[in-house]
Amino acid sequence: MTERKTGIYLCSGCGIGDAVDVPALEGVAKKEFKLDSKSHACLCGDEGVAMIKADLEAGVNQVAIAACSARVMSDRFGFEPVQVLRADLREKVIWSHPANHEDTQALAEDAVRMVLTQAPKVKAPEPSVEGEWSSRILVMGGGVTGLAAAAQSAALGHDVLLLEQSDRLGGRALDASKRLPHTPPYAKPEANDIEALVAAVTGNAKIAVRLGCTVTQTSGMPGRFVVNLSDGSVETVGAIVVATGWRPYDATKLGHLGYGASPDVVTGIELEGMLKAGAVKRKSNGAPVKSVAFVQCAGSRDPDHLPYCSSICCATSLKQALELIEADPDTNAYVVYEEMRTPGVMEELYRSAQAAGVIFMKGKVKGVGADLTITVADELIGEEIPLAGLDLVVLATGMVPNSTTPNAPAPAEGADQLAGDVDPEVPFPVAGYCGGTAPAVHAKREQAIPDGGSLLNLQYRQGPHLPVLHDGFADSHYICFPYETRRTGIYTAGPVRRPMDWAEAAEDASGAVLKAVQAVRSASAGAALHPRVGDLSYPKVSLNQCTKCKRCTVECPFGAIDEDEQTYPIVNSTRCRRCGTCMGACPVRAISFDNYSVDMLSSMIKAVKIPDEFSGKPRILIMACENDAVPALDMAGIKRNQWSAHVRILPVRCLGSVSLLCISDALSAGYDGVMMMGCKPGDDYQCHFVKGSAMAAERLSKVGETLKSMMLEPERVTQAEASIADADRLPKVIDAFVEQITAIGFNPFKGF
Amino acid sequence: MNALSPTPTKKYDLSFARWVYRNVDGGDRLALCMQCGTCSGSCPIGAQMDFGPRKLFMMIRAGMKEEVLSSNSMAACVSCYNCVVRCPRKVPVKYILQSLFTVAVREGYAQSVDSDNARFARAFWWSAAKFGRTDERLVTARFYFSYGLSAGFKKSMANLAIAKGMVKAKRMHLGLPHTCKNAGELRKILAKAAEIEARHAT
Repeated sequence: MTERKTGIYLCSGCGIGDAVDVPALEGVAKKEFKLDSKSHACLCGDEGVAMIKADLEAGVNQVAIAACSARVMSDRFGFEPVQVLRADLREKVIWSHPANHEDTQALAEDAVRMVLTQAPKVKAPEPSVEGEWSSRILVMGGGVTGLAAAAQSAALGHDVLLLEQSDRLGGRALDASKRLPHTPPYAKPEANDIEALVAAVTGNAKIAVRLGCTVTQTSGMPGRFVVNLSDGSVETVGAIVVATGWRPYDATKLGHLGYGASPDVVTGIELEGMLKAGAVKRKSNGAPVKSVAFVQCAGSRDPDHLPYCSSICCATSLKQALELIEADPDTNAYVVYEEMRTPGVMEELYRSAQAAGVIFMKGKVKGVGADLTITVADELIGEEIPLAGLDLVVLATGMVPNSTTPNAPAPAEGADQLAGDVDPEVPFPVAGYCGGTAPAVHAKREQAIPDGGSLLNLQYRQGPHLPVLHDGFADSHYICFPYETRRTGIYTAGPVRRPMDWAEAAEDASGAVLKAVQAVRSASAGAALHPRVGDLSYPKVSLNQCTKCKRCTVECPFGAIDEDEQTYPIVNSTRCRRCGTCMGACPVRAISFDNYSVDMLSSMIKAVKIPDEFSGKPRILIMACENDAVPALDMAGIKRNQWSAHVRILPVRCLGSVSLLCISDALSAGYDGVMMMGCKPGDDYQCHFVKGSAMAAERLSKVGETLKSMMLEPERVTQAEASIADADRLPKVIDAFVEQITAIGFNPFKGF
Repeated sequence: MNALSPTPTKKYDLSFARWVYRNVDGGDRLALCMQCGTCSGSCPIGAQMDFGPRKLFMMIRAGMKEEVLSSNSMAACVSCYNCVVRCPRKVPVKYILQSLFTVAVREGYAQSVDSDNARFARAFWWSAAKFGRTDERLVTARFYFSYGLSAGFKKSMANLAIAKGMVKAKRMHLGLPHTCKNAGELRKILAKAAEIEARHAT
């Protein structure tokens, strides 16, 4: 390896030079690190960048820049493949602290110390790219979503393997009479055009279709998944789009709504089939249907059944009512609803149904008699209204995601893992209720988890399933990365991800396909997927230090680490999202990245100059998550919000990557308090790595005892939640913590 | 508008809503009511109505014909048009109430038949049909005495001062009632109208 030569550059632009003593910062580099540095009045300008580039020509192979936040000017200061390290003197120093104050100067000097300490501890990451990579995309499911996904993958130039469990393509759409409106003015049911989509897929040379075929086993990682199929073949694919769709909620559980009491109580799916077949007749006696009532939320938004809203049942009932009225304008159609939910343009369909004379009754169904009399507790009249003389009662049942293969036995092992992260004790919300009026929570939460076999039968250390949330849908960072599952390179699309209609599912397929394409391309380049897109580093395990404690293999939120026969960890690099939760978990610091390690964090923590207790100035360490906390602090700086100059902020990849060793290092180095600032953990997490901040909270819950044994107050270490919008709140949180620590008093370990 | 509404054999007759949609002026727009309650909230005399327009419309949908037509809601309407102007779905609430009022009177619902509005309308129509003009004294007298002899006498006495003032200001004349020219032609027109109405009713 060539000798490391670090170029150090300080910027005095944007007011930095006016607020802090930049020559003194250069002095820190010279005196304490024996390093020469250069400063410039506008480092990001052409002249400043040219200065750095000239040094790179002259042999500098690592760049440390103390200027603005690392989140800005990354294009100007991007010198690939040379590693660039950034210290923030602007947002988190001069913009958020008083100018020309000794504490602000100390803050700036510590920022320089931290980056110069970091520099020798890291190197430009070398990606893991060995071996063969496949760019083929496996699409599971031949319904609307799967067909759209296959067509779009092929359009992007990828070979596609399309699996369909049944013996025909088209899925549930084949059994539908018409589809919900998807073209302007969105007012009428539209023709079922699934045949065209099927034809487009079967006629595409890039798409190989296997009917009657399921996955029996999946191993490997993004870029080289090895998939065993039920027809005995073994295929290699780069990424997987799960478009397994949905199954209707089991109506036999809806006896209280009359299902089973009369053949004329049917589900919406059954009515759809009757509409497809032609004129709708009563099942009991073949008489025409002159009067029909739709019961909405049949088993949905109900704590005893599905806790969520399936989002399409309202629109589907509207469509079916319109179809019935179109066939016979004298048909009396009633829709009994609690809340009419017509997302997006479906409101137009609602208006059409109203104009067509469909009668809407808001209330709860109290019961359905064998003579089809529905008793409605009408909220708008305040009475129980009997709807008598009906010919047909339609129960609008909800969607259950095919997060498992229906009618297949659950795998012998790992069944508990399906919802393994769902805390059965925590109450979960029933959709559409806030606060007081919410129904009592589910007595048996597992009812919401679909039964059946594993879709992919993953040969992962963490079990065969894609982990699901309490409602049975695949766990993902819903807001930021909706298509992601907890298994990298495997993307859900369509109703298996969340309830949605036909048009939405086709759009959803595009999203998942783009993610799959990104996964395939990133895998062969050794680059991470989001949120650390393009990161070339990956966890390296020093096996001679490893104690085989298995914490890394258990705690990885993405199941990236397997175990070999001797239970040593094996990292599957392309499954990894580079959060560093394994690094934070490892008790012996055996896991590190080329550009990120416990040693690096600890050294940076210790690089800060701790004032003695006679100065009256505390030092507090904030380990801030790079995803939300650091940007929020940057924004606080941009807004010129001020906070205590006694804190030192160390950005971390995720709170999950913080080892308790870093905290004990900080306390023994003389910091008076440590704050972990990151995303919200829990069932409604906002952690970009799903479980990172939850792992940090769990580790932190165990640190109290250790602190007590060190005769330290447990309040010295805390975790604070931060979201991207917290620019105004975080400075107050910081100041309150500083006040709390000042009240506790100085760390007795100071100066040892 | 002329056909009798279906007489319910039960309290909740599901065909009533359809009948109202098709037979009541503005009923087709009533189908678009989304029960927001802007009409009832805007109504200056909603507190005096048995049911505000919103609830009344929902009761129509539930087929509660008896409660709807026997309520005082339609007669209580003062035609301020707040509801019509404010309805986000352009439901002509006032017109629908007016039309339902007519239905209730025709079908003999006491609240409507005996209401001030209905009594005054009958007195007004009597004068207009008979003379082709309205005569203040006769319309007022007919209106007052429709409540009975002693009630009519009391009401007349209570308004005597006003009547005197109107005579003095020449707003009310004494003597024979004014008539229009060719009152016979008017009667023919009205007879024809009645004939057309009867034809539509069958």
